[in-house]
Amino acid sequence: MPFTKFTNLDFDQIRVSIKDYLRANSNFTDFDFEGSNFSILIDTLAYNTYITAFNSNMIANESFLDSATLRENVIALARSIGYVPKSRTAASAIVSFTATPKSSTSILTLQSGLVCTGSASESSFVFSIPDNVTASVKNGVATFENLTIKQGTFLKKQFTVDISLNQKFILNNSYIDTSTIRVYVKGPSDSGLGKPYKLVDNIFEISSKSEIYLIQEIKDEKYELLFGDGIFGKKLENNSIITVTYIVTDGREGNGASVFDFSGSFKNESDSIEVCESIIISTIQSSQNGSDIEDINSIKNFAPRLYSSQYRAVNSNDYETIIKSKIYPETESVSVVGGEELDPPQYGKVLISIKPKNGTYVSDFNKREIQNKLQKYSVSGIKPEIIDLKILHVEIDSSIYYNFSQVESVENLKTQVIKSLTSYSQSTNLNSFGGRFKYSKVLQVIDGTDTAITSNITKVIIRRDLKAQINTQTQYEICYGNKFHVNSEGKNIKSTGFNIFGVSDTVYFTDIPNKNSDGTIAETGTIAIVKNTQSTVDSTKTPIVIQSAGTVNYTNGEILLNPLIITSTVLSDNIIEIQAFPESNDIIGLKDLYLSFDVSKSKINMIKDVIASGDDISGVVFQTKDYYSSSYSNGALTRS
Amino acid sequence: MSVTRISRSFKDISLSFEPHPVTKDLPVITDARAIIRSIRNLVETIVTERFFNSTLGSNVRKSLFDFVDYATASVIQQQVVEVISNYEPRVDNLIVQVNPKPDTNEFEIILTFRIIGQDIPVQQYSFILEATR
Repeated sequence: MPFTKFTNLDFDQIRVSIKDYLRANSNFTDFDFEGSNFSILIDTLAYNTYITAFNSNMIANESFLDSATLRENVIALARSIGYVPKSRTAASAIVSFTATPKSSTSILTLQSGLVCTGSASESSFVFSIPDNVTASVKNGVATFENLTIKQGTFLKKQFTVDISLNQKFILNNSYIDTSTIRVYVKGPSDSGLGKPYKLVDNIFEISSKSEIYLIQEIKDEKYELLFGDGIFGKKLENNSIITVTYIVTDGREGNGASVFDFSGSFKNESDSIEVCESIIISTIQSSQNGSDIEDINSIKNFAPRLYSSQYRAVNSNDYETIIKSKIYPETESVSVVGGEELDPPQYGKVLISIKPKNGTYVSDFNKREIQNKLQKYSVSGIKPEIIDLKILHVEIDSSIYYNFSQVESVENLKTQVIKSLTSYSQSTNLNSFGGRFKYSKVLQVIDGTDTAITSNITKVIIRRDLKAQINTQTQYEICYGNKFHVNSEGKNIKSTGFNIFGVSDTVYFTDIPNKNSDGTIAETGTIAIVKNTQSTVDSTKTPIVIQSAGTVNYTNGEILLNPLIITSTVLSDNIIEIQAFPESNDIIGLKDLYLSFDVSKSKINMIKDVIASGDDISGVVFQTKDYYSSSYSNGALTRS
Repeated sequence: MSVTRISRSFKDISLSFEPHPVTKDLPVITDARAIIRSIRNLVETIVTERFFNSTLGSNVRKSLFDFVDYATASVIQQQVVEVISNYEPRVDNLIVQVNPKPDTNEFEIILTFRIIGQDIPVQQYSFILEATR
């Protein structure tokens, strides 16, 4: 038998191949018996073949970005297309404090390094600053305001340049936040630490005199510094002293610290240590945005994309790649909408919504940072603008029929359904910009939870949360991006309760569809504000407080409220939940709407399937009130 | 492609690799000698020693450092029987006798067996197991 399976990676199959070959071509017979001498030789041969095959396979896999599995190979391949993977990011907090120096100095310098300690998740963390911060002393007090402190330990390393060697400048610590690296090079004629060198990630605008360095990740998540060669970047002189300071961080573990104790040190104008009286730190922003080093999958995903974007934000994918990989690694999803697509169009603008990984909103500080950093990537004349996330919540109202002879506990079954819906709700194609809620998939998820579930009748509701501006006359516009289902009697729009100026009762929003001259339902309706005396009362008898409080466009899925003074809301945080029924059960996250499947506010009703369990063969009982589920709205006036 | 055996006899290579003095061929061991060699290989192979076949072999080596008495001999005997019956299908009517020799700190193993499918008399073979370190 020809021995042709060169790529076999299974030891036993290699052995069988060798035996088959010997069976046809050898005088020996004993290779079939495990104890024989020949069997030992075959084992050796097969093992050798196996190792060679494994090595060849590994080499082939590790040679390509898509199939490489070892981190050092992935980063080496990404490096060849100019991609520097994101390092760990230190959690940053913003603090303010005042210091009272004992001597009469005019300035006070907070030294780079340890500033304070803070605790998060029952662990204590140190917070440092990478650069010295100086404040002037007024009336004996120095005020340090909005100081950004980074979680981690501040470290320093020095190298002496020896050009006769093939010298490598490696920082021997893992877990460095590369944004905190500061490099100073002291040449023969320099004093102090020397000249600060600037970190760059490409060679645009670099001359032979630019004082720059590059970093590259090497083994074990450590970093190597690369300096210029006299053509791209200034070449290092012999016996120069390189001083590198950096912060080694715990990454995401440092998030959440809000109380800090001061542990830093000061120097006065004569550069000697200054002792200050006890310092109380006030926290402006607790520590956040700490993240781990970029993982292999992310590198594989973004390296080719960043290469194709060529560091220029032109189309929406470029923005997404640049924001996620270069500017704000805490990003979970990004939506980019060109101003020309808006209604009315805003030419020259790009509107960007960002959903961070841990939370819903990007802080104002981070927004400004992102916007500033984006400016250097974006096309001239285009102004990127970061806008707040608009979440379109999708809820379901599901009646689930189960065969009670197969169920031990209905509560357990309900918990299982909620669990499987929750895991579906966490899938990325749903919780994203441009995501789509697929109705049929949700029905499958419910039915597939347990064999006891015989069927389900599920209604879909879309909801936006209106954040009311309390005691301020404000006009509101709420977009759903999905067409509404219109019932000619109204009650398509429902809300939670709120109070308005001049009315003592709790009031709600509702809608009254407009009619065309021929009596058919128009595309628009009027929003009315009503009291809820009885939830199922006929719309004509509903006590209306304001007849025309706004308009609704059913086709575009838009509600526009006239100026209104809201004094309080029933729900906390000044939230009014406004829901509608979508015309299509598949919901999309249009433009800057972030689609989120809200399982916690969905309704799950467990109903016995009397037909499947054999109690009601004729189906007569099934049609009675307790076992029957409507596929349409419940006709209630308010959201419950 | 059908596979046919060239010979019905048992034929194995010798691991001494000493060439035949006249023909210069590799030495070949056959039938009873081949099986005896196989049995010795099995008994002397430590469990987990073979790649991808971790159960092959016996644990007699572990017992060699125990007291050289009949209790240990019984354990060794069971292990030898077990490995031969599991991995050497060519033998039948196996009798394993283990004699402890406390004076020389060794065990003498005497195997008596019949070779299946061969018209040759019952074979007896003995070897010594001794702790060498």
